[in-house]
Amino acid sequence: MINILGRKKIYFAISLVLMIASAVSLIVQGFNLDTDFAGGMAVTYEIKNEFEVKDIEAIVSDALGTNQKASSVQKSENGEVVIKFGYDNNLKNDEERATFAAEKIEAIQTHLAEKYGEVELKNKDIVSPSTGKELARSAVWMSILAALAILVYITFRFEFVSGVCAVLALVHDVLILCGIYSIARVAIDTTFIAAVLTVLGYSINATIVVFDRIRENTRHAKKQTYSEIANTSINQTIGRSINTTITTLLTIGMVYILGVTSIKEFALPIIIGILIGTYSSIFIAGSVWATWKDSAVKAKSNRK
Amino acid sequence: MSRSIIKFTAIIAVIAALLFVALYGLDFTETVRFPGVLDPDGVVQGLDLKGGSVIVFEAQVADPTDEQMNTVTNMMRTRLDGLGYSEATVTRQGVKKVRIEIPSVSNPEKAAESLGATAQLKFVDYEGTEVLNGNDVKTAAAQYGPVDQMGASQHFVSLTLTPDGAKKFADATARVVGYGSGNNYIAIMMDDIIISAPRVSERIDSEECIISGDFDAETAKALASNIRSGQLPFSLAQVELRAISATLGDTALKTSLIAGLIGIILVMLFMLLLYRLPGFLASIALLAYMAVEGIILANLHINLTLPGIAGIILAIGMAVDANVVIFERIKEELRLGKTVRSAVDAGFNRALSAVIDSNITTIIAALILMWLGTGTIKGFGTTLLIGVVISMVSAIFITRFLLKQMIGMNVKNLWLYGINKSKKEEGAN
Repeated sequence: MINILGRKKIYFAISLVLMIASAVSLIVQGFNLDTDFAGGMAVTYEIKNEFEVKDIEAIVSDALGTNQKASSVQKSENGEVVIKFGYDNNLKNDEERATFAAEKIEAIQTHLAEKYGEVELKNKDIVSPSTGKELARSAVWMSILAALAILVYITFRFEFVSGVCAVLALVHDVLILCGIYSIARVAIDTTFIAAVLTVLGYSINATIVVFDRIRENTRHAKKQTYSEIANTSINQTIGRSINTTITTLLTIGMVYILGVTSIKEFALPIIIGILIGTYSSIFIAGSVWATWKDSAVKAKSNRK
Repeated sequence: MSRSIIKFTAIIAVIAALLFVALYGLDFTETVRFPGVLDPDGVVQGLDLKGGSVIVFEAQVADPTDEQMNTVTNMMRTRLDGLGYSEATVTRQGVKKVRIEIPSVSNPEKAAESLGATAQLKFVDYEGTEVLNGNDVKTAAAQYGPVDQMGASQHFVSLTLTPDGAKKFADATARVVGYGSGNNYIAIMMDDIIISAPRVSERIDSEECIISGDFDAETAKALASNIRSGQLPFSLAQVELRAISATLGDTALKTSLIAGLIGIILVMLFMLLLYRLPGFLASIALLAYMAVEGIILANLHINLTLPGIAGIILAIGMAVDANVVIFERIKEELRLGKTVRSAVDAGFNRALSAVIDSNITTIIAALILMWLGTGTIKGFGTTLLIGVVISMVSAIFITRFLLKQMIGMNVKNLWLYGINKSKKEEGAN
């Protein structure tokens, strides 16, 4: 039997450090927002001939002219180049921006074709800044709504303290996941949001299994402290938590390994989130619950 | 015992049949048929798989009414039909936006321009006085042929005026003739841009008139389409435009399916290793799950996007979760010394609450994605939801049924249920 509650200070410390680091990074530098959220244009071309990123950058700057926000040019696998750039700040409304986008993209394509011959457009995204902000707002709103709905459901099925502990574990998971992406400056697009919500829905599963066992053990064991009950419950469910994580990772892991770039970018945060979620379900959720309940009991008996 | 063998073989046969139907569909007659996943009219491929464009327009007024937005949506449909995009879809997005999806078209810029045009049609004389407007036009059609006695064929748009409009037109032409050379023309303007300015040499008393000028097949079609749809109640601005080429989707689909297949096989091996007989049965239940999922996807014509496929594959990994919870419980009960029959019953009963609770929370997340998300995210939420629901049913009912038949067939060796002799002697923790 593993004494999880006994070492809880270590686990709390690890989690606290990760959460603070994440929070700091998010506040200070935020995310590296992709076009979906920042607004702007992203085009992916497949160029049959050899090319250097430096040369493409020069061509793009040429085509864009002055008054241009920073662009990014990256070479992806299988000979594709991804070009991203923002709107001219002097444009006044969305109609002007739409015309600007169409013009600039055509200019870039013509210039590239001149130099490299066969250039095939694979993907094009033109997003107005207002849409970007709306998507960002709706993403945050979706996450908060999901967390609240889950809190209500767990309070209804278990009890309020369990609900709060479960949601705290969720906040822990999402915060660290976002923190990792903020620190690593990986570009965030709308699929990251789907990943966050998936992690929310998935991570809570393991937490629920632990709390379900705690609920059952609490009914039958009147003389144990909450810490002892929690320890037993976690140990009884640890097999299930780990095995479920393994089966899920087997499937989403294959998708990550074999998938195309866009699917890799979608699967990775899910994988990271599932790992963090499993950790928090086993080491954090139950421990917080037991600590809270035990200190409440202590406070009650001190008052007597 | 023999009843159990019959029931067991029966359900295996049913599952095999379901798999067949899922893949190849069921054809009763030409019209009454249920498509399978491999049929072309079964699963609807999302834009990111088969290529296509998305254009989102936003109303440029502060508070468009519901009615106005619905009018805009209908006008868009007319315009898309007129342009020949019969497979395009138009939906309202939020309060102020209209979302247009055109499959198989990767260069939607021209279409976007004509779709988003307000389409205000005006006929004015040289002084700028309005003579006719869009309300006086009954319908318009793009044509090809000679427009005057010279006989050279070109693209033009023919208008049919309303009786009222025809009268106004007759009066106007009569008046314009008298304006003298240089001023005896009627300018036809679309959104304040002159598209044609024919000279008027006599009074024209007819319900038909034509707009000719520098038109090609596309521009004539677009103009006729916009005139037919009518003038938008307010102007629209394009706020989102996305285009994906078809070739991107082909590779993506193939690799995702292979990944899914390998993943599923790995999961089945894992279950077999860890839980032995129940694991084997869970793998059969997994096949049933995939069959039902395939049938639902093909027959509800769910729009399948790339994240949607990832959602299906993820749901499969999570589907096994319910089985893991139940089997771990059964193992525990067996270690406590219960008979196989009562351990299985206890396992299912006690684990049920945990399975339901954990699946419902995933369902909550999926519902929010479906309700508030757009495009590919919505697709992901949908397939995740379908997957979780089917997996719950499959784990709770099918696996239990299979296990019960196993017991009925007297397959009770503890080793088959995942218990090693030494562990059993150790007793419970």
